[in-house]
Amino acid sequence: MPLTGNSTRSSLWREEGSTSMRALGYFIGTFAVALILGIGSAWYMIERGSLLTTAHIGPWKSWLSEGNPNADPYTRAHLARSGRLPLTSTAARYFVANTDSRGSSLSAGCEYLIIGAPLNARWWSIALYNEYGSLIANPSKRYSFNSEEAIRRADGSFRINLSRNARPENWLPSGTDPNRSLMLVLRVYGSRDTDISGIGQIPYDRLPKIKRSRCE
Amino acid sequence: MRVSLPGLYIALGVVLAGLIHVVAVLTLPMLAPRDAHARLAALGPANTMIQLPAAAPGHQVMPMMAPDVRYAVCRYDLSNGPVRLRAEIANELWLVAFYTPLGENYYAVIGADMKQPEIDLIIATKDQTVAEVGVDAPEAFDNVVVVNSPVVEGIALIRAPLAGPSRGAEAERALKATYCGPHKGSSPDPSGP
Repeated sequence: MPLTGNSTRSSLWREEGSTSMRALGYFIGTFAVALILGIGSAWYMIERGSLLTTAHIGPWKSWLSEGNPNADPYTRAHLARSGRLPLTSTAARYFVANTDSRGSSLSAGCEYLIIGAPLNARWWSIALYNEYGSLIANPSKRYSFNSEEAIRRADGSFRINLSRNARPENWLPSGTDPNRSLMLVLRVYGSRDTDISGIGQIPYDRLPKIKRSRCE
Repeated sequence: MRVSLPGLYIALGVVLAGLIHVVAVLTLPMLAPRDAHARLAALGPANTMIQLPAAAPGHQVMPMMAPDVRYAVCRYDLSNGPVRLRAEIANELWLVAFYTPLGENYYAVIGADMKQPEIDLIIATKDQTVAEVGVDAPEAFDNVVVVNSPVVEGIALIRAPLAGPSRGAEAERALKATYCGPHKGSSPDPSGP
């Protein structure tokens, strides 16, 4: 049936055949472009975030309403895709860095110095992952530094050396593969400064700086 | 008024792209096959406390788990009645958070805000009455907090951030003593964990 239908239609439209074929081509083209734009923009806003959903402070990115039952659809999609169970911003704040303070991607081929000021919170932790959120194997089994274990200076500030080879003070090993992309996650539990709605406030100038010291 | 043909296609393309964008964003949470609930469901049955293995390279139940936090999870199912959760918090850093399967953190108990170290909770939906079960255990029932779950199936996650280096074993021991199970079955057994 569809075959005869088609042939009748094309015979009827014979004179306009080339025009209608072109129109069909345009339509398919438009649809393909729309599909790429629609999916692409959705992917970008879910994966990377946008001004609506995320705060960017230096190298750190924070999803503002992650885990919140009233979160916007982008944050909800981001969360479902991530497979994580984060706390809402009244209990904890999460900051993720894929770049150093100058904006270059974090790579195990480079060495970094993470310089942090004291954070007014019950507990915080800086953990290192690869780009997929997995911990990086290393002989000293050191995957993070938290507020209880990081060696601090007299003024409460701390320095963490992020490198493949052993370093003094706080050493966060980035594994053996120099081509690995890195991701840092700063979790701050029980921030002592809160706004009226109880959301933990971290003074943004207190967030650690990530300085690249050298690359291979 | 005559609209040019390319203009029409551009307008059509923009509208279509917008529609596809909205549909993609709204359906993605339902299509994500490896969300946290699915990952935890693979670990064991509902209504029991399950300790998550400490996060290590290649061994992470969820991505980006904190290596210096120990976790215990109770995937609850309220279809057969309320669920009881008891924990003796080892220090003020502990957090007990409640989630819907989509990862919405609808309630949290913060260790530092507790006046006593015992956490005793009954998770129930809005339709389930918890008052009648109080008859079975009238003693000290005023310390029990009822958590109204917006979902029949959800997740309770206990976080024990490590209070210092090499405190992992201690936190794991403390988490082992936490309890999650059907509320009715647990009430006649005061010596329960």
